[in-house]
Amino acid sequence: MDFASLVRQHQAMVFSIAWHMLRDRAVAEELAQDVFLSLHQHLAELESPEHIQFWLRRVTSNRALDVVRRRQRRPMVSLENAPEPVALTPTGDPLLGTALKKLVAALPEKSRAIVVLRYQEDLDPAEIARVLGIPVGTVKSQLQRALALLREKLSRSLGELGI
Amino acid sequence: MNLEQELKSALRRQDPSPDFAERVLARVAAAPLRTAPRVSQVWVRWLAAIAAALLLAAGGLEYRHYRGERAKAQVLLAVRIAGSKLNKAQRKVHMLAHRSNS
Repeated sequence: MDFASLVRQHQAMVFSIAWHMLRDRAVAEELAQDVFLSLHQHLAELESPEHIQFWLRRVTSNRALDVVRRRQRRPMVSLENAPEPVALTPTGDPLLGTALKKLVAALPEKSRAIVVLRYQEDLDPAEIARVLGIPVGTVKSQLQRALALLREKLSRSLGELGI
Repeated sequence: MNLEQELKSALRRQDPSPDFAERVLARVAAAPLRTAPRVSQVWVRWLAAIAAALLLAAGGLEYRHYRGERAKAQVLLAVRIAGSKLNKAQRKVHMLAHRSNS
């Protein structure tokens, strides 16, 4: 498969990991481009399509984590202090999706990466652990904590709206 | 509300700009080519490293030999000086003995 086809095949995955981690389209596209540039330089070392996909997920996640950490040197609003998302309805409302994305983006960076890999990429905890290079137990505990936090934030918002 | 289902829906993959792939390919074409070193280059590097190591070892041995020679020369000189001093002293002793006898 030629490099252009590889880019087209994986661009949505790479861009979306960056986009859901960073919530900044321009920065996410720039990061995704850098990842593909790096892929081009390392292509000879990658042995199979599965290896390429794994490599892309890992490099994109790690680079996005680096960007998030660099941003954190500037003052940021934590999830606990983030404003409640407005006008939520239980399901089918695009605003709920937008609110969820904002809440995910306010999670601590490692939890955010875990949630994105779990629900965007549909990876199980063992696969996430391999991609991020952390223990499976850490993935499971951080995922549970992140879900509890998201559930609490969302139900508080829905409760305030009387839904 | 099923939170996990909502998360899957909210975090589904999205496409980047339509010209994303073209921009990536343009950057790849503009980037300097990073090629792996050829086998001959690798050999040349190894040979140069081995030659440098041999040169250092030879230099070290030569320096040790030079220091040994220098030390030997210094010992011989010291022995020679001590010998001449002894001869002088012996001559003086003989002279004094000869005078006292006569």
